Order: sequence, then structure tokens, then C-alpha cells
Amino acid sequence: MAFVPMSVPVPDEAPVSLWRDAWSRLLRNRLAVAGLVMVLVLVFAAAFGPMLTPYDFLSQNLEARNLAPSLSHWFGTDDLGRDVFSRVLYGTRTALIVAVVVTAIAVAIGVALGAVAGFFGGLVDRTIMWFTDMTMSVPNLLLVVVINASLKTPLSQWMEARYLVTLNPFYRETIWVDFLLVFGSMALISWPPYARLVRAQVLTIRSRPYVTAARALGLTNRIILIRYVVPNALGPLIVAVSAGLGSAMVLESAFSFLGVGVNPPTPSWGNMISDGLRVWQHYPHLLAAPAAVLGLATVAFSFLGDGLNDALNPRGSK
Amino acid sequence: MLRYIAMRILLWIPSVLLVMLGVYALAFYGAGDPIKLIFLRAPGDVAYDPVRVEAIRESAGLTKPFLEQFANYLLNLLQGNFGNSLNSGRSVWAMISAAAPVSFKLGLCAIVVTALIAVPLGLVAGLNQNTKLDYTILGSALFLWAIPPYVAGPLLMVGLLLILPGIHVPYGWGGVFDARIILPLVVLSFQPIALIVRQTRAAVIEVLSEDFVRTARAKGVPELFVALKHVLRPVLTPVVTQLGLIMITIINGAIFVELVFGLPGLGRLTVQALINSDYPVILAITLIGSLLVMLSNLLVDVLYPLLDPRAATSMKGR
Amino acid sequence: MSERLLDVTDLSIEIETRSGPATIVAGIDLHVDKGETLGIVGESGCGKSLTMLSLLRLLPNKIRVAGGRAEFQGRDLLKLSRRELRQVRGGRIGFVFQDPMTSLNPVMKIGAQLSEPLIYHRDMSRADAWKRSGELLRLVGIPGAEERLHSYPHELSGGMRQRVMIAAGLACEPELLIADEPTTALDVTIQAQIVDLVKELRKRLGMSVVWITHDLALIAGLADRICVLYAGTVVEDAPVDQLFATPGHPYTRGLLASIPRVSGSTMARLSSIGGTPPEPGRRPSGCAFAPRCPLAQEVCRQNAPALQPMQGSSNAHRVACHFAGRLMSEAA
Repeated sequence: MAFVPMSVPVPDEAPVSLWRDAWSRLLRNRLAVAGLVMVLVLVFAAAFGPMLTPYDFLSQNLEARNLAPSLSHWFGTDDLGRDVFSRVLYGTRTALIVAVVVTAIAVAIGVALGAVAGFFGGLVDRTIMWFTDMTMSVPNLLLVVVINASLKTPLSQWMEARYLVTLNPFYRETIWVDFLLVFGSMALISWPPYARLVRAQVLTIRSRPYVTAARALGLTNRIILIRYVVPNALGPLIVAVSAGLGSAMVLESAFSFLGVGVNPPTPSWGNMISDGLRVWQHYPHLLAAPAAVLGLATVAFSFLGDGLNDALNPRGSK
Repeated sequence: MLRYIAMRILLWIPSVLLVMLGVYALAFYGAGDPIKLIFLRAPGDVAYDPVRVEAIRESAGLTKPFLEQFANYLLNLLQGNFGNSLNSGRSVWAMISAAAPVSFKLGLCAIVVTALIAVPLGLVAGLNQNTKLDYTILGSALFLWAIPPYVAGPLLMVGLLLILPGIHVPYGWGGVFDARIILPLVVLSFQPIALIVRQTRAAVIEVLSEDFVRTARAKGVPELFVALKHVLRPVLTPVVTQLGLIMITIINGAIFVELVFGLPGLGRLTVQALINSDYPVILAITLIGSLLVMLSNLLVDVLYPLLDPRAATSMKGR
Repeated sequence: MSERLLDVTDLSIEIETRSGPATIVAGIDLHVDKGETLGIVGESGCGKSLTMLSLLRLLPNKIRVAGGRAEFQGRDLLKLSRRELRQVRGGRIGFVFQDPMTSLNPVMKIGAQLSEPLIYHRDMSRADAWKRSGELLRLVGIPGAEERLHSYPHELSGGMRQRVMIAAGLACEPELLIADEPTTALDVTIQAQIVDLVKELRKRLGMSVVWITHDLALIAGLADRICVLYAGTVVEDAPVDQLFATPGHPYTRGLLASIPRVSGSTMARLSSIGGTPPEPGRRPSGCAFAPRCPLAQEVCRQNAPALQPMQGSSNAHRVACHFAGRLMSEAA
């Protein structure tokens, strides 16, 4: 007796795209949404904050020094009578610019090296990964200290010399030296995780049967890269970037605290914390405001990163 | 097995050399002529005499090609000669050997504290996934992660003084068994603890879904022993591989903690050298830091087969 | 009638999904007598493993028992305290899992894993348990047993690992051994060895066995009685010879027809059952098999049939099909 194949009811709902699925998973995660909201607030504050506050972050008012938080000065004023809220907002801009630029450079270096290592394999792969491992084993703070100690003086001297020759005021802006050194040295130490991640993705995807099948059909490396590797690597990369942005902000504040980062009077959370620590027994708000905002930013990127990880790499555990 | 260890060490040496070369090159090309720097720093009216400088350079071997100077530097290193401080003229080796024991003891204690506190907490959190206990532990870890040591240090120090007005200021160094070590140790352990709690928790959740845990339960093994014998052991393997990362976190943290609590260790030496642009000292400390991290990575590589018998078998084949 | 060892009545299991709980196992009834070997047969996903795991409360997260009873030696397993449950696990009921590679702890020596049930159930010292583990390995036919105790699982072959799993399940001489597709991950020749091993051990130790499989042919020579599961319900329950001689349910007939068999000199053409079983939460309202059944009528889509003794067969042969009788007459 034979069985007649019967038609089976096919699920009639339209297939939800992977990204929309991940997005809905992210929105169901309360902590991730909290992180996302906080990050958006930070971005908004960085973009428009300095324009919205009634005070300039640099303008001093020696008659209103070290004021406690009030309605007119939300976070009080510092020892030069500057509005702390405006300074914290401007510090957000500094922190986010540093974080975004550093992460962008690091991702560019990491993705390029990782993809090359993964695709070519062999000696190229081993050399690049050797280099990656080595970069990862230099304590990052020390490396930045070395770079600063060795490059800051010659760079400033060079800028000064250019100024004397050209009289272009651009060369008088020491802020560019700071930014170049802080950005450059941070990016130089931040790329290895991205390189490792991209290499691992390329290796996994290269060995998948469907890619072998695509090769057998005559697809070129470039098409395989665009069609298979990029979409698969994007999820983990987004998670890594979220974590990277958070740690870049913390690093920036650490360098500013040590005095090798962004120099006063440009406000940065790190140098505000450093200033606040000297007087905090008398004026606790001068420490509390930047420290709390830095802590919040760190937590926000942590929450968002964890949420993205759960949403983009579901392993069915939850 | 011995062959494997020998191979790892052989591969390790060129990495160390390359890191040294990179750091040395930075200082060599960036910081400029050390003799000139010494002259420029000299107190009083020491005239900058180009002819004399040239003579000193000649006698110090500073006119030789870069690689030869690097080789000389390495040879001197092997004899424990790190050159002299630009600032004080003291031997760098003497400065470091005075400071290193403080940092090493503090760091070692921090690793022990981290292991003793973070692994059990991560285990408990993972075993009670998505319960209040889990959220409490995870939330506290996130909180610790978000406070940089340069904020946590001063806050705890003064906070303690406010609570216990009679006690001595916990400032300075009295050895591992001195009460003054407690506060720096706590602050230094915060971030590594946060890191390891999260790592351990994630690993526990992963292991709990393994079939062999179900087997253990089916055999009637009590839950406590399931946790200790079947879950903890496989969890330790990925956690131990984080040793290098923990070293970096502790080295970074020590810079701030030693500064805040006035500990005469390598961290404070780093900050002083940074302020004075005393690059022979920075160079030496960076080399020591990188060596420590690379050494712990080597240790992990060598220990790995002991933790995971599967790795040991695959190594016998090599 | 022989003595009941395990009696499962109306057991339901649910999985938690985004759109609320979905039923995976819908009111299963089954029983195991003392000394009997019961084969549980069904496609993957029909709930056969979950049913057995639920007895020892080993269900994965998000899957839970929704109702029913499971009496073992007169006590409801689903209501035991943690302490009592622990004594049953590995002590009175032994479990052998599907994939011996992942089911053995990769970082523990074989001897240590075999010793565990002995230490926790028999209060044996470590040394005694180790010694007894050696004897167990010999019992399951592993050569060089004492040396093997010091091996790690990855150093053994798949068949050896499954023998170790069986030894661990038998360590405390349980009344019931549950084997969850123990041969699926193994080569065909090894499969037969494992079946023979269990057959022999069952005789020697006098225990009951529940053997879960999707392979009817494999347990034909092993089981006394077979339960056929489809989509979380028992569709047929019969002594093995009656099931093969006069299968009552169209699904069982489909399974039997898909067994390769050499009849005479020509190979009969293999047939397969069209379609796939319903997903949890998309269960049809009447008989779950109706959408795939060639004999389905309106009544099948309306009412789920109950498990009843089949006409023209013994009382022990029960089928859940509205047309169990007619099917017989048509086939005859």
C-alpha cells in the first residue's frame, strides 16, 4: 500500500528579514532600549547641546565661582565661574568625536588587515595575525604614553616652526596636536579586535558549503565577499563597534586625566574629573557631574552592545 | 608536550624583539637627540655647545646607525643596563628595581583577589540566569566597570576617612601585609572583577546547555557537585585565556591607583616620567609591561593542554 | 497480568514561545511492566525524547510539563522532592543519551564519570567506586577496562563511548534503563553490537528497558512491545509481533512500508510518507495525522480518535484511529 503525498499547509506569513527580526529582538530587550536611548541622548547633546545652553563653555564669570547646582546653573559652576553643564555638554562632543574617529580608523585598519589575512591565508595570514597578537600584548595606556612622550614635543616644535614660516594661525592651534596624537595613538592600538573578528568571519564563511557551491558556479572572490562575507560579518562587527565606542570614550578620559589627552581649556570629561578631584571635598558637584556622565555613557554602550549581541547573534539560549 | 612548549617559546622571542624594536624606534625618531635634551634640561646656564655635544654623542655611540644602536640597547638590557634617566641622571635600572616589587606584589594580589571573588560570583550568576540574584551581580559588575579607577580611588579614600575619622590616611606603601594595601587593592580589582564576572557568567550559561551537564544530572549528581565538577572545570578554560587582558587592565589601573594612593611603584614612575618626558624610563616600563602581558599569554598557551585534555591529545600529534 | 513499573497517564508537555505556550506532547499514556522492553518509535520532533526526559525532570529551558502523572513504583515522579528525585536519577532509573561524544564530560576521566553514580547513590569511597567502575567497563565489553578508566572520552571510539554511557546508566543496577536513540550517532555495525549488548545485559540484570528510536527495524528483535508516537500522541501500542503482523494505524503502516526488505528475489519499491508532521502550536483540531493520511474523512478532521483496543486483535493491541478496523478489512 502506497501513501499518496498530500499537500501540507505552508506557513502563510511573509518571511521576516533578518535585520528586521534582529531589530524587533533588540526592541524587546529593555536594557538595550535604555542603552539605545541614552546613546541617542548623548549624540543629540554632542550635536546640538553647546548651541542650546545659555552659557558659553569658555566664558568665565569670577563673581559666580564654585556655585552649587541651581536652576540657572544645573550642574553649578567651577572655580573660574564657568557653567559646568555647558562644559559637560561640550565634553560630550569631545568624547564622541574622539570615539567615532578613533573607532572609524581602527575599523578601517582592522577590516582591511582581517580580510586580507582571511582571504589569502598562509604566510600572509600568519604574519598579519602575529602582528595583531603583538599589538594586543602592549598595554594600551603605556603605548599611548610612549607615543605622546616621544612625538608630542617634536610635533609641537614642527607646528611652531611652520607658524613662524607661514604665519598661518592654524599652526598655533595646539588642539590639533592633541587630537592628532590622541586619535592616532588610540587608533593604533584599537584595531586588533576588528582584524581578528573579520578574519574569523572570512574563514568560517569560506569553508561553508554554499560558498564552495558558489565558487563551483564560477563566482569571483569579490562577489563572494560582497554577497556572503559582508552580510555575515556585519552583525558581529556592529556589536564590536558598539563596545569599541564605549571603551574609546573611557580611554580618552583616562588620557585627559593623565594630561596627555585633550588639553584645557577644551573641556573633556577626563580633564574635568582631574580638576574636580582636587577640590571635590568642598565642591563635590565638580567631580560628580563629569564622572556620572562618563559612567552613564560607559553603561549605555555596554547595554547597547550586549543587546545588539543578543539580537544579532541569537543562539536560542534565551 | 615539551616540544610544544619549546615551539611556543621560540615563536615568542621574535614577537618580543619586534615589540621592543617598535617602541625603541618611536623613542629614537620621535623624542630626538637625548644628549641635546639633557643639555636643554640642565639647570642654570649650561651653554649649549654643539661641538661638545657632538663629542659626547660620539663617545656614547649615538652617531651609529639605528639598528646598531638598537642592538647595543638590547645587549645593555641583557646586562640589566637600561640607560640613565634624562631627568635625574639616575640609572633607570635602579629606579625600576626599586619600584617594580611594589607594583608586582600589588598586581599579583589583585589577580588573586579577582580570581577568588569574580569566578564564584560569575558562577552563581550564571547558574541562576535571569533571576534577581543574577541581575544584582551583573548590575554590580557593570557599575564597577563604569567607574574608572581614578574616580573610585579618591572617592573611597575620602569616603573612608569620613566614616572612620580616627584612622590614618591610607597613603603610601607598607608591603602586602600592611593595612594600607587594602584600599588600592580594592580599587585595582574593580575592573578585572567586572570583566571576569561577565566572562564567567557567559561561559557558565554556555556550558549549562551542554549535554554532559544533563548526563550528570541524570546520574543523580547533586546540583552543588554538578556546578563544581561539571560546570566550573570547562568554564575555567575560556576564563584563564583572559589572563593577558586582565594583565593589561591591571597595568592600566595601577598607573592611576599608585598615583592616587601614593604607592612608589611602576605606575607612579610612569606618570612622573610622562610629566618630565623622561623617555628612557617610559621605554623601559613599556618593555616590562609588554613582556609581562606576553609572558602571561605564553603561560596560558603552555597551561592550556593541562586544562583541556583534548588539546593535549592533538598536540601529541605534532 | 505482570507488575507495572512505570505508568504514565495523560502527560502533556508545552514549549514557551513568543505567542504563548504551544503543546508538544498532548496527553500521552504509556506503561512499562517489570522486565519488559518497550520500544518508542516516531519521527524526530514527535516528543518521544521529551516524554522520557520529563520523567526525570531533565527538560530543557522553556519546555515544561503541563499536566499528567508518571507513577514509578507507585510514586508520582513529577511530584518528587529534589532529594527523592536525585535518588531516582541514576539510582532507580538509568539514562543513556543519544550522542556519547557530547554527553560525556570532555575534561573528566572515564573512571571519574562512571564513579559518580556509585559515590552519590551507594556511598562508596572513591577507591571502591573506581574499582567497581572497572568491573562495569568489563560488563559492557570494553577490553583493557582498568586502563581505560584513565582515558578521556575523546580518546575512545564512538562505540566505546556509548558502551561507557551504558555502563554509567547501569552502575547502580536500576530497575529501568531509558535509552534515548543510543545508536543514532554510530555506524551500522556498531549499532547491532550495542543492541546485542543491551539485550544481554537486560537478561542478566533483569531490568526493564525503554528504547527510543525512529528505526522500527532496529528494535524489532529487541522490544517486547512497541509504542508508536505521532505529533505528541500515542497512535498505536502493541506487542511487537502483532504490530508487525497487523499494523492498525495508517502511520504505522507507513513506517513499516518504509523499511527496506528483500522479498523473494526482487527488492520491493520503498514507499515514504508524504508531508511533514505538524509544528507545535499548529496542531490540527481533529486527528493530528489527518492532513497526511490517505484515508482521512470528515470525522478525522473533526474529532481526535482515542486509543482503543483494535477489533479483531488482542486487548493489548490498541490503536488511535477512527478507521482502524476498516483498514484491516481493506488490507486483507
